[in-house]
Amino acid sequence: MSCHKASKLVAIVDDDDSVRGTLQELLRSAGFSSRAFDSAEGFLASGNQQETACLITDIRMPGISGLELQAKLNAERCRIPTIFITAHGDEEMRFKALREGAVEFLQKPFDDEVLIESIRAALNR
Amino acid sequence: MANLAKMKLAPGPAWFVTLRYGLAFASVAAALGLARAFVYFHLPQPFGAFAISAIALTFWYAGTAPGILAAVLSSLVRSYLFDATTSTESRVLFDLVFLVFALLMTRVARERNQLELRVAERTAELTRSNENLKREIAERNQAQYLTGQVFECSPDAILIIGTDYRYKRVNPVHARNWGRPAASMVGMHVADLLGAEFFEQRVKPFLDRCFAGESVRFEDWFENALGRRYSAVSYSPLLSDSQRVEAALVIGRDLTEHTLASEALRHAQSDLAHASRMTTMGELTASLAHEVNQPITAAVNGASTCVRWLTRDEPDLAEAREAALGVVRNARRAADIINRIRSISKKGESKRQLIEIDEVIREVVVLLRNEAERYSISIRTHFDVNFPKVMADPVQVQQVVMNLIMNSFDAMKDVDRTRELVIRTRRAKDRQLMVSVTDTGVGLPSQQSDQIFDAFFTTKSHGLGMGLRISRTIVESHGGRLCAADNSPHGASFSFTLPIPIDSPE
Repeated sequence: MSCHKASKLVAIVDDDDSVRGTLQELLRSAGFSSRAFDSAEGFLASGNQQETACLITDIRMPGISGLELQAKLNAERCRIPTIFITAHGDEEMRFKALREGAVEFLQKPFDDEVLIESIRAALNR
Repeated sequence: MANLAKMKLAPGPAWFVTLRYGLAFASVAAALGLARAFVYFHLPQPFGAFAISAIALTFWYAGTAPGILAAVLSSLVRSYLFDATTSTESRVLFDLVFLVFALLMTRVARERNQLELRVAERTAELTRSNENLKREIAERNQAQYLTGQVFECSPDAILIIGTDYRYKRVNPVHARNWGRPAASMVGMHVADLLGAEFFEQRVKPFLDRCFAGESVRFEDWFENALGRRYSAVSYSPLLSDSQRVEAALVIGRDLTEHTLASEALRHAQSDLAHASRMTTMGELTASLAHEVNQPITAAVNGASTCVRWLTRDEPDLAEAREAALGVVRNARRAADIINRIRSISKKGESKRQLIEIDEVIREVVVLLRNEAERYSISIRTHFDVNFPKVMADPVQVQQVVMNLIMNSFDAMKDVDRTRELVIRTRRAKDRQLMVSVTDTGVGLPSQQSDQIFDAFFTTKSHGLGMGLRISRTIVESHGGRLCAADNSPHGASFSFTLPIPIDSPE
């Protein structure tokens, strides 16, 4: 299965309600439409992968982690430009994520300008 | 009485019987001899009178049967030796006189016997009551001696205070405590010894309750000649014969050393518990940082959003306001978490208060949520609803819960199956509340399951082996118990109990 990104949908995956909610609000204020999921499983089950133009995901979550989600999507030949946001990312993790095709690796709390720029870049690819 | 009478009338030993009947013969023989002597000296023949005397004598001293024998003998002697010539009528008259006399004497002897019996009984009774009296006096003396010894030799201060608040009696310990002779304190007003203010505020209220008939106990610090002392004092009312309180018996036990020692112990325990908490928090640094970082991230997101709504070409104040409120909410949440961490890390005296156990557990779970996530452990809680509150130190209870949860995490880190932690609260028997922490980890060390509560026992590469030990001390100091069991099919279950206060509703 392959993905074709006709839409400009941004997907957010984070298990923390407040981070997820405020992130969605931030994107809305910047003019992006987004869908939020509280787990990687939720995102995979939603069937939104194909139309997702950009994925913003936390790394450490109960169940499938952000890195595992990236690997699964890659295995499905669904290479969505992915931005990782994490509270405790180390260099090794960052390296691994970028090697697997991540467009950005952000430490929480992050600069909104950097995030928005990354999303724009991802959507215009 | 009947027994005594029978004994008295029984014949007795053979020699006594011989003696008694011998008296009959001897007395009649004596009467005969005397009568013969009278005849010899040409005096009127008085055998009758002598015989009567002999019969009386025999009855009196030898009893009824010998008396009758004496009467018969007298009759025979008189008939054959003195009045051989007298007429039958006069013989009969004489015999009749002897017979009537003998009957009379029988009665007299019986009365005398009964009298003697009665006297003997009275004497026995008197002897008995005399002995009882002696024993009572001895017992009373002993009791008095004991009371005196207790009063004089007691290691506690003992004093008697009259309803006029004056000392009636004080023992040597009390005298020593105040550095003055006991005798000089008798008659003294309590306020004069303790100071008017101390007396009015800290002594008189208790004394008055005691004088109203109540037994009062309290503990307090006192300043006396020995310095600042901590004493346990009891006031007991002393009643007069008419059941009125006429004085207070005061017993004061000096607990200063004991109190200081237990305070020092409490301090040491509290220090140790604090050190252990700090160790735990140290292990949790990464998770706690994450836990604080989440609401801060949300707050920063909110603030960025707010700025974006405000800096648009057409600022949207309503949206900006919404976003700003979110910032406030999330910043508060971050502060709450920091406060929780701070209250657990805080070093302080144990403070007992009525707590809701579920709430206390929930706070710990919040702090450990991220740590659980890190090891893919799911935490489930089953709280029994409508639990009464328990009297406990919330920080210490949190420490116990945190310690049990952290142990479970450690036990599950390396197992290759579902990693699940279940925290359950429920009501146990004997007015106890039970909290159990069950995991699917490696279980208890099989050979050493009885040693897990020992100090410095650990199966971990990190850790001091003090966690369970301290937890047990904390739980036991709250009047509860902490125990462990293997869980089926795998894992372990640790549970502790806390007593439900008596006055809380069922």
